[in-house]
Amino acid sequence: MTELTQDASELTIKEFQEGIHEGKIEGYRCTNCGHQQIDIMEFCPVCHSAKLEKVEFSHFGSVVTYTIQLVAPEQFMNEVPYAWAIIQLDDGPKITGWIPFISRPEDLPIGQRVVFKKSYLPGIVFEKGKTGD
Amino acid sequence: MRNVYVLSADTTKYGKSPLSARELALQASKKAILDAEISPADIQASFIANAFSLAEKQGHLGPIIMSGLGIPDVPASTIESACASGASAIREAWINIGAGIYDCMLVVGVEKVSQLDTITATTYFSFGSDFVFEGACGASFPGLYGAIARSHITKYGTTEEQLASVAVKNHANAMSNPNAHFHKRISIEDVMKSPVIASPLKLYDACPFSDGAAAAILCSEDFLKKTGRKSSEKVLIRGSGRAGGTGALFQREDLTTLNAAVMAGREAFKMAGLSQKDIDFAEVHDCFTVAELVAEEDLGFARRGQAAKLTQEGYTKIGGELPVNPSGGLKAKGHPVGATGVGQVVEVFEQLHGKAGERQVEDARIALTHNVGATGGSCGVHIFELT
Ligand SMILES: CC(C)(COP(=O)(O)OP(=O)(O)OC[C@H]1O[C@@H](n2cnc3c(N)ncnc32)[C@H](O)[C@@H]1OP(=O)(O)O)[C@@H](O)C(=O)NCCC(=O)NCCS
Ligand SMILES: [Zn+2]
Repeated sequence: MTELTQDASELTIKEFQEGIHEGKIEGYRCTNCGHQQIDIMEFCPVCHSAKLEKVEFSHFGSVVTYTIQLVAPEQFMNEVPYAWAIIQLDDGPKITGWIPFISRPEDLPIGQRVVFKKSYLPGIVFEKGKTGD
Repeated sequence: MRNVYVLSADTTKYGKSPLSARELALQASKKAILDAEISPADIQASFIANAFSLAEKQGHLGPIIMSGLGIPDVPASTIESACASGASAIREAWINIGAGIYDCMLVVGVEKVSQLDTITATTYFSFGSDFVFEGACGASFPGLYGAIARSHITKYGTTEEQLASVAVKNHANAMSNPNAHFHKRISIEDVMKSPVIASPLKLYDACPFSDGAAAAILCSEDFLKKTGRKSSEKVLIRGSGRAGGTGALFQREDLTTLNAAVMAGREAFKMAGLSQKDIDFAEVHDCFTVAELVAEEDLGFARRGQAAKLTQEGYTKIGGELPVNPSGGLKAKGHPVGATGVGQVVEVFEQLHGKAGERQVEDARIALTHNVGATGGSCGVHIFELT
C-alpha cells in the first residue's frame, strides 16, 4: 500500500499541535515576499507564490486584543475563567492563545507582554511576561 | 442577468422548539408556498441554508424537505456559510434565476439546536471558527466577538453602555414581532448587570441559541406574469453582494471591521445604483451588540467609530433616520443560524408591504439585509425594492 506522503516543507495540523506541546511555535514564511503566517496553507495570500517554508517563531509577544471567557467549549469548560487572546509575536505573525487564571480585565491590559508556555494543557498556553521581556 | 423577485417570504416562530429541523423547514416552506399562491409543483429547484443538521443526526436535508413538500424529484442541496448560510442561499438562487436556469425557486433556512445543552452548543458553534487555531485554542463564539468588542473599545473609546444601547433597542423592537424569540423589554442597567459571557460581552449583549425556519419563493419576471401578480406585489432584488474574509479572525490586520462586509456592501450598492441615504431601513447581523455597530460602519451608514453615538441618539430606532433591525435583530428576534439570512428577507417583505404592525417603518420602499458568517469569513448583502 502506498502511503500519502507530504512535502517536507509542509506543516500538518498534527505536527503543529505536537510542536506546541513540545514547546515550539511553527508556521509559514513566504520565501518570495517574506510574509509570515500561522496557518495550514499552500499559497501566500500576499504574492500568491507557492514557495513557502516552514519556520519557527519567537515565544514572546504582546496582547492585541482579548476576552475573558466564563462560558467555554467542552475542552475548556473546567478552565473558566480564562483569557483568550490574539497575540502579536515579536518576530512575525499573530497567533491565538489562552492565559489561565485571568478573571478581571484590569489583569490584562492591551499591549501586555506575554510568553508562550510549553504545556500539555489543550490549545496554546501563554502567560504574562516578566517586566523587561 | 434577468430581474429576480421575491414572491413570498414567511417564517416559523423563533425560539426553543420541540420540532426537528426537517419539520420546521417544512412548516416555513408551506407558509411561503401558500402565501405565494403557487403549487409546490411550480418549484424547480431549492437551496437549504443550514449549519448544524448533523447535531440532529441528519445530513442531506434537501431531498427530505422536498419529499415532505410532495416534490421529491426537485433538486435541493444545502448551502453552508455558518451564520451567513441564508444570504448565501438567497444569492445562489438569485444567480440561478437571474441566469435563466430556473424561473421559480424555494430558499429555506433552518436551524435546530435547542436539544444541545449550553456547553455542547457552545462547542458546536466554535466549529464555525478556524477551529484548529481558535476554537481548539479556547475561543468560543462569544469570545471571538468579545475580542472584536475589546478592539472597538480600545480603538474608538466605545463604552459598554453604548453596546448595551443596541440590545435595549432591539429588545424593544422585538416586542411587537410575534415571531421573535424574546418578548422582554430591557434597560441599559439590565444589560450591565447581566452575567459576563465573554468580556466585555454579557448575556444581554449576545443573541440566543434559537430554533426556527424561514422560507422565500424567488422567481423571474416571466413567472410573475404567469401568476398574474399586480405590480404592487413585486419585491425586486435590486442589488446583491457577497464576499469572503479569512476564516480565522486572529490573522486580520484590523479587528474592528469585517472586510467581507465592506466588499459585499460595495458590490450590492453598486449593482443597485443606490447610496446609503436611499436605504429606508436595514436588517443587519447583530449576533452580538458590537456586531451591529461594526455592520453600520462597514456598510457606510456611520463613520468609523461613530455608530455607537448614533445608536444612543436614536438614529437607528424605528422612527429614526435609519431604523436598524426593526424585527428585533438576531439579538431579540433570535438567531436560528441557517434561517437568519432568509428571516431577514421575511422582515423586509413584511415591511415593504406595510404589514409589520407596530414596528412598521413608515413609507419603507427600499431595504438592505446584511448577513455575516462566523467572524466575517462570509458576508452577503442584498438590497430590495418594492416596485
Ligand atoms: C449566552 C449563552 C451562552 C446563553 O446560553 P443558553 O444555553 O442559551 O442559556 P439558557 O438556555 O440556560 O438560558 C438561561 C436564561 O437566559 C436567557 N437567555 C439565554 N440567552 C439569552 C440571550 N442571548 N439574551 C437574553 N436572554 C438570554 C434564557 O431565556 C434563560 O432565561 P430564563 O431562565 O428566564 O428562562 C448562549 O445563548 C450563547 O452563547 N449565545 C451566542 C450564540 C452564538 O454565538 N451564535 C453565533 C453568533 S455568530
Ligand atoms: Zn508571498
